[in-house]
Amino acid sequence: MSRVSPDQDPFRAISDANRRRMLDHMLEGERTVGELAGLLGIAQPSVSQHMAVLRLAGLVEERAEGRRTFYSVRAVELRGVAEWMAKYEAFWGERLDALEAHLARQRQ
Amino acid sequence: MRDIVVTREVAFLREMVWAALTDSRQLGAWLMPNDFAPRVGHRFTFRTKPAPGFDGVVRCEVLDLRAPERVVFTWVGGPLETVVSFDLAEVAGGTRITLRHAGFAGAGNLLPRVVLGFGWRSLLGKKLGAHLAGVDRGA
Repeated sequence: MSRVSPDQDPFRAISDANRRRMLDHMLEGERTVGELAGLLGIAQPSVSQHMAVLRLAGLVEERAEGRRTFYSVRAVELRGVAEWMAKYEAFWGERLDALEAHLARQRQ
Repeated sequence: MRDIVVTREVAFLREMVWAALTDSRQLGAWLMPNDFAPRVGHRFTFRTKPAPGFDGVVRCEVLDLRAPERVVFTWVGGPLETVVSFDLAEVAGGTRITLRHAGFAGAGNLLPRVVLGFGWRSLLGKKLGAHLAGVDRGA
């Protein structure tokens, strides 16, 4: 993954529970800020602020239709998170190798 | 739901493997320096080198402990709230270790769906599916 400033960091963007809930809803389909405000039970200006963070991190994209703006999840950007998880899988494989080596030393 | 599951059979007695998992000093020798204690509810940390999006501290709490077969603790590194469990089974010639990294806390959490694979193919569409197929294969 390339280096990113903190504001563009997708991990930081998803560290907030409301932003994760917004992403959850947008994974199910396009949403407007007003719809998300209703679904989350928080004020529209708050949703707009959270949306700005998600957009800066490149996690969502917008589509204008008439006077309404629909937001959806930019799936490709989430690939970075999946890659990170794949690294975790490799991490545990390496750690279990280290555990086995440790056990061998213990027995000596 | 796709958890991370890694299984190993090792030629060591289960009690020995158990000690390597639940003795803080031994755990530090193969995993990371820590202040683990074998007590349900004990909060502890693993400390490693920081990386982008991660301050190098993994915050944990022991959730389950059944000597010599099962230890479970939360694993919170950065924004990720996950659960790590080790199950030890006696098998011919040694012990089978099953590591599971799963259970992102909170039903509303995005990560278990996207990262651990629960329904992500349909949720995110075929376009991403093609990208993630490479990740799935460990590419």
